[in-house]
Amino acid sequence: MLTLTANLLPPLLGALLLWTGAAKLTSRRLRAQTARTALPRLVRGPGRAVLVLRATAAAEVLLAAGLLAAPGAAAPAVGAALLGAGFLGYLGYARVVAPDSSCGCTASDNAPITWHSFARAGFVAGAGAGALTADEAWWTAVGDRPAAAVALLLAGAAALAYLSDGPEGRGRVRLRRLRLRLFGSPLGGPAGGDGTVPVEASVELLERSLAWETVSSLVRSGLVEHWEEDGWRILHYTGARHDGERDRPVSVLFALDAGAHLDRAGGQVIRVSVVDQETAEVLTGDLVEAAAGPPRPPLPLAG
Amino acid sequence: MTPISSATAGDRFGRRGFLTSAALGGATIVGASALGALDADAAFAAPAPSLDPAVTETSFVEGRIGAIRGGLLTAASSEGETHRVQLTNATSIWKARPTTADAIEVGDGLYARGVPMPDGSIAADAVWVNIVNLHTTIRGIHRDRFYLSHGNHELVGRTIPETAASYAGGALTSDLSRLRIGQAAQVLGAWRPADDSIDVVRVTVGH
Repeated sequence: MLTLTANLLPPLLGALLLWTGAAKLTSRRLRAQTARTALPRLVRGPGRAVLVLRATAAAEVLLAAGLLAAPGAAAPAVGAALLGAGFLGYLGYARVVAPDSSCGCTASDNAPITWHSFARAGFVAGAGAGALTADEAWWTAVGDRPAAAVALLLAGAAALAYLSDGPEGRGRVRLRRLRLRLFGSPLGGPAGGDGTVPVEASVELLERSLAWETVSSLVRSGLVEHWEEDGWRILHYTGARHDGERDRPVSVLFALDAGAHLDRAGGQVIRVSVVDQETAEVLTGDLVEAAAGPPRPPLPLAG
Repeated sequence: MTPISSATAGDRFGRRGFLTSAALGGATIVGASALGALDADAAFAAPAPSLDPAVTETSFVEGRIGAIRGGLLTAASSEGETHRVQLTNATSIWKARPTTADAIEVGDGLYARGVPMPDGSIAADAVWVNIVNLHTTIRGIHRDRFYLSHGNHELVGRTIPETAASYAGGALTSDLSRLRIGQAAQVLGAWRPADDSIDVVRVTVGH
């Protein structure tokens, strides 16, 4: 099996280099892509960086052609191993000087350098060295044991596709979408099913309400606590009321339908209470009237 | 969380019973969403009554909590200042949900609203711990979490019992099954410094 693997390394490596090299050579947005990598800083200038990237792409295509057409030759294998080692060094440098930069490996990815990029560069270096141990041409190896060879090639191609896709790759997103379509969303509704309204929804409804507008000048805190009682949801805020010289702390309580939310047709009732925190005296009536100010004049209507 | 002794629990329920009866006996205001402060009609309404003078002095501070002594939090802001934030009995504290001062830890991020005191500290009336509000893209959905990308960073958003979603401007709902991979999502939640994930409180999609 080891021999078969070594014999199949040249076509796998060749296909990978051919793809990455051709992608970079034919890319029309190479200059923009290069700007997102650490290469301009390494070679001091975006123009040079594009040249370096094109030269690397040409080398990749040449090496790929050598590996595919002349798998027994040592030069393409040694070249690929050196190229892989160079990639590793470059990635290490880029991780240190510009951690958020992209790899630029395939000319189409903008994802930052992750372990995927290192693993793929490591594969190029390792496979280049491993290809030196191949003892027969890959087409002969495939002809001798077609089933095992095809299985190995498919597994290798899948692993390389996984590494090339990056953490946010389109292929990965398609797979995840497919999984959701087949098995449904694991983030179902609430346990128990039924129209439980989140507290957030009650707060949202309250904060857009006339009740809130009426007493908001008293409220000094965010939501302190909440609980439910007989179908009502009670929301407790703290506040302050001006009493002579000083502010006295009060509890501002709102009671609203526990099942109400913004989308439910109007007519919800909200009850407002203000309770003095020190004396436990219910102050609602006068305080709400004072906080609400004078009655609103009717809106002017056309016609 | 510290267990509540039965006496404390009894006090709490007694207090809640009292507050509940006060709340249900309060002034009734009908038409919750008819004339809301954010409603277009509010633009035509009479000017709002002037707010309490203390409101104009309200200030906001942010920072990373470096020390907690009693109810006094010391926070280093991102601009290099040091803020001292005093918690009071009336301070509301949010850390993914309304909670108590015990939930605040050194290393947490702090966003506080309060009144400046003569000694330079801030008496807080509301403190939001580790609050984040991010524009992200949903990249993956799992049973109790989803994966988000935010700029060049990958984030894990954990669902908690309070997690609510709003689809295309609709009301908040606890049904998360309509989230889709690839959607742009605004996520409000509490950052967890321990593993750099986010407890998601609200996810808004379809805007």
